[in-house]
Amino acid sequence: MRFDRDSKVYTVIFTFVSSFLFLVILSGMNVLTAQQVKKNQELFTIRAVLNAMAIVYSTEEEAINIFNSKIKIEEKDSYKLFSTDVNGEVVYAILFNGSGLWGNISGVLAVNSDVSRIVGIDFISQSETPGLGGRIEESWFKDQFRNEALIDDKITVSTTKASDSKDDGQVDAITGATLTSKSIEKIIATYIPIIKRLLGVN
Amino acid sequence: MTEYRKILKNNIWLENPVIVQILGICSTLAVTNNLRNTFIMTIGVTLVTALSNFTISAMRNLIPRKVRMITQVLVISFYVIMVDIVLRAYVPDVSKALGPYVGLIITNCIIMGRAEAFAQANTPIISFWDGFTAGLGYMFVLVVVAFFRELLGFGTIFGIQVLPSTFSKWTSMVMPPSAFFVLATFLWIVRGMQIREEIKQVSGGEKK
Repeated sequence: MRFDRDSKVYTVIFTFVSSFLFLVILSGMNVLTAQQVKKNQELFTIRAVLNAMAIVYSTEEEAINIFNSKIKIEEKDSYKLFSTDVNGEVVYAILFNGSGLWGNISGVLAVNSDVSRIVGIDFISQSETPGLGGRIEESWFKDQFRNEALIDDKITVSTTKASDSKDDGQVDAITGATLTSKSIEKIIATYIPIIKRLLGVN
Repeated sequence: MTEYRKILKNNIWLENPVIVQILGICSTLAVTNNLRNTFIMTIGVTLVTALSNFTISAMRNLIPRKVRMITQVLVISFYVIMVDIVLRAYVPDVSKALGPYVGLIITNCIIMGRAEAFAQANTPIISFWDGFTAGLGYMFVLVVVAFFRELLGFGTIFGIQVLPSTFSKWTSMVMPPSAFFVLATFLWIVRGMQIREEIKQVSGGEKK
C-alpha cells in the first residue's frame, strides 16, 4: 500500500518527528561540547588577564599555572578585581563590558597601582566588523595602550596620526573603524573611575 | 563519471552560483576584506551545502510537498549549528574571529538554491557532489575578490606583508562598497569571456 505523502496527518507527523530528531542530535552535541566550550571561555579570560598585565607565557598550561599561582582575585561591588606583582610593582586588572558598534565588547583592562597609567588592554569577546573594527584584537592596536599615561582619567583615540609618546594619553584609531575605536575610548573612560573607586585612589 | 565532471564544470564555471546565478552576494560583500576569514567561511559553506544536499536528497521521498522548504531550512540550519558548535569547541580562535558570520551561513541562498534545484530530484551521492562543487564555485569567486581587497586594502596576503610599506593602502578596499566594485569588475571580465566563448561556439557550429 502506498501512503499519501500529502495528507495532513502525515505532514504533521513528519514535521514533528524530523524536527525532534534534528534537535535531539544538536542538543546532544551541545551538551557533549559544553565542557570544552567552558574551558575555552575560561582560557580566553586567563589569557586576556595575563596579556593585559604584560605577563609573558608561552603555552596554555603555563598561562593557567601562572594565573593560578600568582594572581589574586577579589570581588568588590560585584566587580572582579585581579592583582599581582610585576617586577615589584602592583598591577590591577578589571573585567570590562561595554558596547561597541554592533554589540558587546568585553575584555580586561590593567592599570598600575596609582591608576596613572594603563598597563595593558585585551579583549575577550567582540562582534565588530571583521577586518575593520575587529582589528581591535590585533597586537599593534593593543600595544599602543601599553604604559600609556591617563590624562584626566582617559585615553584619547585620535583619528589623525597621534605621536608615539607614551605620556600624551593618545593612541591611533583604526582606519575605517572610527566608531569602534571611539567605543574603546568610552569604555576606558567609564572603567577608570570605577577602578579608582574600588582601589580608593584619587 | 561524465555526469560528475559536467556538474563540476557547471558549478565552477558555466553556471557558477555567484557569477552567473548572482546568489550568495550578501556574504560575498561582507567577508571578503580578509583572506583568512573568507577561506574559513567558504569552507563552512561548502561543507554545509554538500551535507545538507546529501541529507535532503536521502529523505526526499519522505518529505511532504507542503513543508518541503521548511524541511530544507531545518536541515540547513542543523548543519550550520553543527559547524558552529564544532568551531566553538575545537578551534575557539577561529570561531572568535568569525563571530556572527557562521550563523549567517544559514541565509546563504546558494545552499537553499542547490537543495531546491538539485537535491530534491537526484540521488544522495551525486547531490553531495553537486553541493560540494557549488561550494567550490562560491569559494573561487570569494577568494579572488578577497585577494584583491586584502592586497590593496592592507598590502598583505593571508596577513603576510607582501607590498612594500611605502605603498599607500586603499582604505576604501577594506570598506564594504569596494566589494561591489571588485565583484562587478570580476563579473564583467568573466562574463565577457564566457559570452565570447559561447558566440565562438555558435558561429563555429554554423560554418559546419
